[in-house]
Amino acid sequence: MNLGRRNLLGLAYMAPALLFVAVFVLYPFGQLIYTSFTDASLLGGGKWVGAANYVRIFTGDPQFWKALWFTLKYTVIITPVLMGLGYALALLTAQNDRVLQFARGVIFMPVVIGLGTSSLLWFWLFDQQVGLFDKALVDLHIANSMIVWFTNADWALWAVIISVTWKVVGFGMILFVAAIQSISREVVEASQIDGAGYWQRVSMIYAPLTLRTVLLVTLISAIGSMLAFEQLYIMTGGGPRGLTFTSVYWIYQSAFIKFQLGYGSALAIVLTAIITIAAAIQIFLTSRSAPQ
Amino acid sequence: MTDAALSTRVAAAREERVVGSNAGVRYLLAAIAVFISALMLAPVVLSFFASIKSKADASATPPTYLPHSFSLENYRNILDYQAGLWTYVGNSLLVAALAIVLVVALAVPAGYGLARFRFRGKEVLFLVLLLPLMIPYQSLLIPIYMMFAKIGLANTHIGLAIIHAILQIPFSIYLMRNSFEGVPKELEEAAVVDGGNSFQLFTRVALPLVLPGVVTIALFAFITSWNEFLAALIVMNKETLFTVPVMLVSVRTGHLGAVDWGSLQAGIIVSIIPCVLIYVFLQKYYVSGLLSGAVK
Amino acid sequence: MRLPVHSSLLALALTASAVAMPGAASATDIQMWVRASGATAAQFMIDLWNASHDDKVVATVIPDNQMVTKLATGSQAGDVPDMVSFDLIYMPDFMKAGFLKDITDEMKKDPNYAGVAQAYKDIATYDGKIYGAGFTPDVSVLLWNKDLFKAAGLDPDKAPATLQEIHEDAKKITALGNDTYGYYFSGSCPGCNIFVTSPMMVAAGSKLLPTKAGDDALTGDGVKDVLTEMKAMWDEKLIPDSAQADTGANFFATFETGKIGIQGTGGFAISALKHDKPDMNFGIGFIPGTKAGEASAFVGGDVIAIPAASKHADLALQFIHWELTDEAQLEGLAKNSIIPSRPALADNKYFKDEPRVVTTAQALGKGFTPYALHFNDMVNSDSSPWIQMLQTAIFDGDVDGAIKTAQDAMKAIAAQ
Repeated sequence: MNLGRRNLLGLAYMAPALLFVAVFVLYPFGQLIYTSFTDASLLGGGKWVGAANYVRIFTGDPQFWKALWFTLKYTVIITPVLMGLGYALALLTAQNDRVLQFARGVIFMPVVIGLGTSSLLWFWLFDQQVGLFDKALVDLHIANSMIVWFTNADWALWAVIISVTWKVVGFGMILFVAAIQSISREVVEASQIDGAGYWQRVSMIYAPLTLRTVLLVTLISAIGSMLAFEQLYIMTGGGPRGLTFTSVYWIYQSAFIKFQLGYGSALAIVLTAIITIAAAIQIFLTSRSAPQ
Repeated sequence: MTDAALSTRVAAAREERVVGSNAGVRYLLAAIAVFISALMLAPVVLSFFASIKSKADASATPPTYLPHSFSLENYRNILDYQAGLWTYVGNSLLVAALAIVLVVALAVPAGYGLARFRFRGKEVLFLVLLLPLMIPYQSLLIPIYMMFAKIGLANTHIGLAIIHAILQIPFSIYLMRNSFEGVPKELEEAAVVDGGNSFQLFTRVALPLVLPGVVTIALFAFITSWNEFLAALIVMNKETLFTVPVMLVSVRTGHLGAVDWGSLQAGIIVSIIPCVLIYVFLQKYYVSGLLSGAVK
Repeated sequence: MRLPVHSSLLALALTASAVAMPGAASATDIQMWVRASGATAAQFMIDLWNASHDDKVVATVIPDNQMVTKLATGSQAGDVPDMVSFDLIYMPDFMKAGFLKDITDEMKKDPNYAGVAQAYKDIATYDGKIYGAGFTPDVSVLLWNKDLFKAAGLDPDKAPATLQEIHEDAKKITALGNDTYGYYFSGSCPGCNIFVTSPMMVAAGSKLLPTKAGDDALTGDGVKDVLTEMKAMWDEKLIPDSAQADTGANFFATFETGKIGIQGTGGFAISALKHDKPDMNFGIGFIPGTKAGEASAFVGGDVIAIPAASKHADLALQFIHWELTDEAQLEGLAKNSIIPSRPALADNKYFKDEPRVVTTAQALGKGFTPYALHFNDMVNSDSSPWIQMLQTAIFDGDVDGAIKTAQDAMKAIAAQ
């Protein structure tokens, strides 16, 4: 087959998806960019205002930067929690033993539940009046009385982290299990014959040979955390004192609640740019650190 | 070291492949695993118990772990809400089915194209396909809705399915690309010798081998679509077109945002059941689908 | 591709939706959007109308905080229902944006319109033109637990007449112990507090929101007096800790536990409490100010209006004329323990046995509705200046700083 034809053929397979993304993502994204240069409101308007919205982001909206900072904090805390716990669970359940396989299935189960649903579930469990998580802490003598989670930004953050960890830790675990199981038996056996202990094997064999998967899952997880919205919207409502707004939540707030469509669009563009740059940096570092 | 001794050691090594071979350690690990499983299951089980409490019981303080009395009041509440639960379930299933068809029809060939052909600009096009991952989709909803209103996709199941497909496209294409890369090229080369054209190679040789991957992206498309709230609310304008999540938000809302805890629980269970059923039912497919697709 | 799961899913979906699709209607369906909070009340009216009319009203329930978004995007896309019932507080924004149909002439001709509560008439008028009418009212009132009053040695039949009295009563009730608290409010819920806390401020002489650019916000001593008194109750632990985090989820459920002495609430609480807690003795009174004789209420609930692009505006108008008649007001609302939007109808056969509903209906006449653009921004949104002020003053203790910050923020929003 000549090269030109193979080019075309490859393109032909990709064409439907490309067309779809062009029409339903790129075109609206173009509209979003256009809107970001107007004073459009949900209630009407839409005059061209040049870069005024962008100027406002960088000079007149401290709340957005606070929200971005909070989002970063959330991402920086939850990512290692998810990766560490996920990896630990993967090590625990990687063997194809019946009990362990069952545990793997159960731990993955919340992944198939919607984020909105799981957030509501935990919103209830954490409720200071009817919440059973709080009650269990009291009954186990871990807490003296029903904890009020959402009056303190740090506690609220941890409540969200606990709920999200429950919901998604299985996703990383399954991928790590896969990575561990794909290590060839010979390599593992050779190390055992050489007398390497379990933890030595973890650090000398599993860790380096699963690094690529770990980095990839970290990237997916970090991007997801940077776009966090529903869990905060449902569980904290941005409170207390507006300290738990995430970037996307603030965009939603600006466009849908304050009706400032133009400004909200500009915020969305800025956030997209930030995430794209961060992801590019991470991909760049990943490809250098794990040449495979 | 004698051969016999070596083979015993190898056997022992096989035995303890990941963890220690000591029986005590293995029981301990099993116990830990069971304990963690119980922790993971507890929230859903407690929610189920709360859902079969009476409405007043469900909001009682202090709460109880187990229901005092059995009542289907909360489920009846949901069943009879406005257009009736089955209307919303029907809409949700139809939209999810359409989203699955879209995602599979778009992502599978695209993944094949990316995995099997080398051409200039391929990486750039791949990044374009991953773009929806980087944009907060909430901000795209209004421009998309305006476009839908112009071309007649507003208030349609297919319109909503398109938005749900957008959300799943990046992950699905990525997974399919890796799945196809995992299929040995030799198989297709053999088929070329037998005279198959490219499309036949794709459908008859490669596709059956990545079936677990296809099931996986279908499952994730279902979960996303079944649970999505905001787009469903913005695109649909009639009660009879709403999906389950939209109904569940309304049914639990009392005055000024007061929550009807009983209806909330029943709603949680109703939204969880289909996802968990499909999960259990398809477990063997999509686990291997994820394994073959996401690790590479 | 052979994937049984797809085809069976699809088949299931198709059957389910085929079953659910109603047959083609012979008469016209009048499409109506109703916000979730007002859906129960609206449904009483709709059922009553549908029982006697060929053109049926079909309701679509929209979650509360999405109604504005829906109506705004729908208006821009030209895809709107024939009429809409929404939180009256958004009237100014929508009238100004031109989303609603001018129904001045029709309403002026309607003899029943003249009798609609003044607060509804005011909120539905812009530039001298009328754009809507009261539909399903909800008025804030003071609610107290008579059993706890009795146990604490208070007169169970006497409502606290001032905020200071609430404070004194709350002390005695909290002193009962056993996790009993004198007062409750949802400390993280902006909407709940504009509903039940702001009337105290207004009763005590304050004006809250700027009506137009340049107006001052939160004027008068009422704001400070109320915040100071509530901060004192919080400091003295007369309010449960959980109040601080309540985003409204427990606005109603808390009182139902029977461990709260006094709380502000809405008229809807009467029938809800009677249903959920038939054994509880509770009283309903006016929300007081700081001096005896002062009282106010937030006149809330839903107004009904016709979107500018309504396809059946004539039918929608018929419905509005009908909902203002004695028959609809009495048989649709009063019969179901909901107060009519025409105060003159408060004295009716259905309220004879339930003086508490009569109190609510009277509160309608004493009440106010703030007329403000950007209400979401100033009050209703998460972390609005309004809720930040309450939280900083009551929980953090900085009353003066909280008021100053909120005044500036609200003025800035009004100037937009």
